[in-house]
Amino acid sequence: MSYLELCNIKKSYGDGESKTEVLKGISCEIEKGSICVLLGASGSGKSTLLNIIGGIDNADSGYISIDGEKTADMNEKELTLYRRKHLGYIFQMYNLIPNLNIKENIEVGAYLSENPLDVDDILKTLGLYEHRHKLPNQLSGGQQQRTAIGRAIVKNPDILLCDEPTGALDYNTSKEILKLIEKINKKYGNTIIIVTHNDAIKNIADRVIKLRDGVIRKDYVNETKVPVSELEW
Amino acid sequence: MKNPLNKRIFREIKDEAGKYLVIFLLMTAIIGIVSGYLIGDESLKTAYDESFKKYNVEDGNFELMTKADKSLISSIEDEKVKIYENFYIEEKTEKISSTVRFFKNRKQVNKVCLWDGELPKYETEVAIDRLYAKNNELEIGDTLRIKNKSLKITGIVALSDYSALYRNNTDFMFDGVKFGVAIVTEDGFESLPQNHLHYSYSWKYNNPPADPLGKKAIDMGNDFMNSLSKKAVITNFIPRCSSNAINFAGEDMGGDRVMFITFLYLLIIIISFVFAVTTSNTIRKEANVIGTLRASGYKKSELICHYMAPSAIVLLVAAVVGNILGYTVLEKYISSAFLNSYSLTTYKTLINATAFIDTTVIPLIILLLINFIMLARVLSLSPLKFLRRDLKRHQRKKAFRLNTKIHILIRYRLRVFFQNIPNYITIFAGIFFASIIMVFGIMYSPLLENFEEKTVDSMLAPYQYVLKVPAETKTKDAEKYGAYELKTTGRDFVEEISVLGIHKNSKYFKTDIKDDGIIISSAYADKYSLKIGDKITLKESYEDKKYTFKINGIYEYPSTLAVFIDIDNFNKTFDFDKDYFTGYFSKEKIKDIDESLIASQITKDDLTKTSRQLEISMGNMMNLFICAGVGVFMLVIYLLAKIIIEKNTQSISMAKILGYNRREISKIYIHTTSIVTVVSLLLCMFITHKAIIAIWHAMMMEYSGWLPPEIPIITYVKVFILGVVTYAFVALILQRKANKIPMDEALKNVE
Repeated sequence: MSYLELCNIKKSYGDGESKTEVLKGISCEIEKGSICVLLGASGSGKSTLLNIIGGIDNADSGYISIDGEKTADMNEKELTLYRRKHLGYIFQMYNLIPNLNIKENIEVGAYLSENPLDVDDILKTLGLYEHRHKLPNQLSGGQQQRTAIGRAIVKNPDILLCDEPTGALDYNTSKEILKLIEKINKKYGNTIIIVTHNDAIKNIADRVIKLRDGVIRKDYVNETKVPVSELEW
Repeated sequence: MKNPLNKRIFREIKDEAGKYLVIFLLMTAIIGIVSGYLIGDESLKTAYDESFKKYNVEDGNFELMTKADKSLISSIEDEKVKIYENFYIEEKTEKISSTVRFFKNRKQVNKVCLWDGELPKYETEVAIDRLYAKNNELEIGDTLRIKNKSLKITGIVALSDYSALYRNNTDFMFDGVKFGVAIVTEDGFESLPQNHLHYSYSWKYNNPPADPLGKKAIDMGNDFMNSLSKKAVITNFIPRCSSNAINFAGEDMGGDRVMFITFLYLLIIIISFVFAVTTSNTIRKEANVIGTLRASGYKKSELICHYMAPSAIVLLVAAVVGNILGYTVLEKYISSAFLNSYSLTTYKTLINATAFIDTTVIPLIILLLINFIMLARVLSLSPLKFLRRDLKRHQRKKAFRLNTKIHILIRYRLRVFFQNIPNYITIFAGIFFASIIMVFGIMYSPLLENFEEKTVDSMLAPYQYVLKVPAETKTKDAEKYGAYELKTTGRDFVEEISVLGIHKNSKYFKTDIKDDGIIISSAYADKYSLKIGDKITLKESYEDKKYTFKINGIYEYPSTLAVFIDIDNFNKTFDFDKDYFTGYFSKEKIKDIDESLIASQITKDDLTKTSRQLEISMGNMMNLFICAGVGVFMLVIYLLAKIIIEKNTQSISMAKILGYNRREISKIYIHTTSIVTVVSLLLCMFITHKAIIAIWHAMMMEYSGWLPPEIPIITYVKVFILGVVTYAFVALILQRKANKIPMDEALKNVE
């Protein structure tokens, strides 16, 4: 049985003449512990879909079920608890708290979990241990994104949602970040959903879902999955 | 695990040290002043209440025409009272224009409280009242000169039966400048001129009434007076319940409590809004972080607490420091206002739990409540809105249009104005509040001076005498009048109204009084908003009998709440003999009536005692009001205008890149605030005037008497100039802040 189930998700913005249908009935299933890449051009609806999965946006119709729990039935408080318990978020912009140091930023994530991972371990895994007392503005973009990843994974979430995690990074740093995501998936077994417009990234996924104009154009299991180290674009 | 976000609370305070320091200082000062007032007031009131037992204060005193012999004393004591001799000699002082009442040291009743030095031991020594000494700059070691005699001051004292220095119980106001009390030795007393010796006796009931000011006390006083009058010739009789010298201070203490607390709470409300607006600005800046935290599972309540914490901590620390200052420095300062008015006994500063609740707990609740409402509203937006930095609840569908014929800089400025309307509304509210405080501080002295001038100009006669018993005079132009005291019939507040019976065609009262009606003083009309044609009902002081009068006119007499009635009508209304009268109006001094028959002489000094005393008591406090007003003004404008600059940092940076010079940028971002400030100040002058009149009126309704709130225009001009000058200083800081914004600011943080 699938871990994450999306059933006929529809979403539109605006009304009347200016109404735009962003998602036109998305249905799919994602296995536990897999890496899923949501691929699509700008405006294809991939970020909206990720936000609906993450419970920070609502679908107009359809439902999402995680491990048998439907998010549509939840009120705001329950949704907050759901995110707190199950989800980790990584954004294109790192959104770190500027006046907390690197370790403290990761602790902000740890605080949300009843069984957080060891913060120092995470810092070491992310290669940030020696920078742990620095403030975010003293680090490079890649290091900041690694911190954001640390903040998301420290609570050991069931699902890690990554919205264009390499969008603001150069090639080498992007690969470094993807390697980390791969490593985390292997080490902790989280389900990872990556939203990206970078076609190459699909190669590291177990599952690829291609969106265009709010509908799924392709949804397939990647039989030729490659490690990040072999990825080129 | 402790919430790691807590670690940034103190960093946030440190990062915004300037803002929090200014708020902290202002809050500390205001809380300190209010706390000082509440602590001082309560400590003095407690000492005053305890003084009755500690110094064995009398249940009343009376004066006899001649000295009572042992048998008379014994006969009086049969009325279930204990009698104590409390003779005094009243003498005018030389060099200082005043009258001093000399007593022998009291050992049993109305005991003396020694403030400083020591009680006199020798015939040529004296201990004088603390307030009288202070007002006349007399110190221990100085000499007090009376007729052919010099007395060396050895001590500074307070007499427990003279907490307010009333020379006569019928005086309109106490007078600690021109009247004092003093203690001398028995020999010293004998050596004083004996022609002004008063045979005054104090009494204590064997079974005193439970409430010394209650109806039973009044009845006991009346019964005792009736019995006493049958045994001796009384020239004066003052039961404790009617004694202004004993009761006035106690009744006055605590009177300004409501005003101080209201002042504090209003300020806390303004500061709370300032905090709410500045915190909303921080939230706007940190929108993406908040979005991430909310998306990660942080609860709204956790973030509300987090963002409320800095303001709550600053207020809490300010309250603690303010209370410490309140208990130490400021309590002394505030108490001095009371000690400058009243001859109180020594006191100890007491721990006051109510003051803590009023100055710490309630302000904290107000702050938390206002901030909670504002923050809960902002943080109720979805995490997605925060991530998109879209914090508007209702998105405007189209930008409103501005006429393109308007110069671009003006349109730009208008956009800045509309973008920051909430800030400007808070600025307006802050200016309004600050203006009220400043006007209050500045208007005080001119208001009192104006009252004095008007009072002197409208005096009924250069000399006005109140007689103990009717006596005739041959003084030219002397005119008889009748006087009686009635009380208002209000439910919560009752005060005395003087009823004056005036002769037809009076030389002193320049309006005819019709037989069927009365004329009231302008003070009475203003205070109770009375007009011609209205009817008023007054009642007897100690009976339920009521009188209703129709107002036929209003007479310009600002110093006293008075009713003028034709003297024949007066005697008929109050059941006096046809020829009864109480005193004389005269153009010159009356010399042919024995001084012992004169109860009091109402002079210019008497009528202006109120304003003189208020100037002494409250004058210093008014400077605090001006400082507090300027502080609030500066704080509110600076913090809110700073937000406007911060909010537009990128736009300012971009304008610089485009080539706008400093003057143009200042025109757009700072001049808009300047215009709002100046217009708000002007508008506030009108609204403040209305508000002050209303506040003053409400305040005076708590006091006996009336001071007309005539505020000269110059007061508003001064407040306006003070406001503009203060703003100019703030604008200079804002200008520097805008100048410092680097051009590369526009190129970073573009998300």
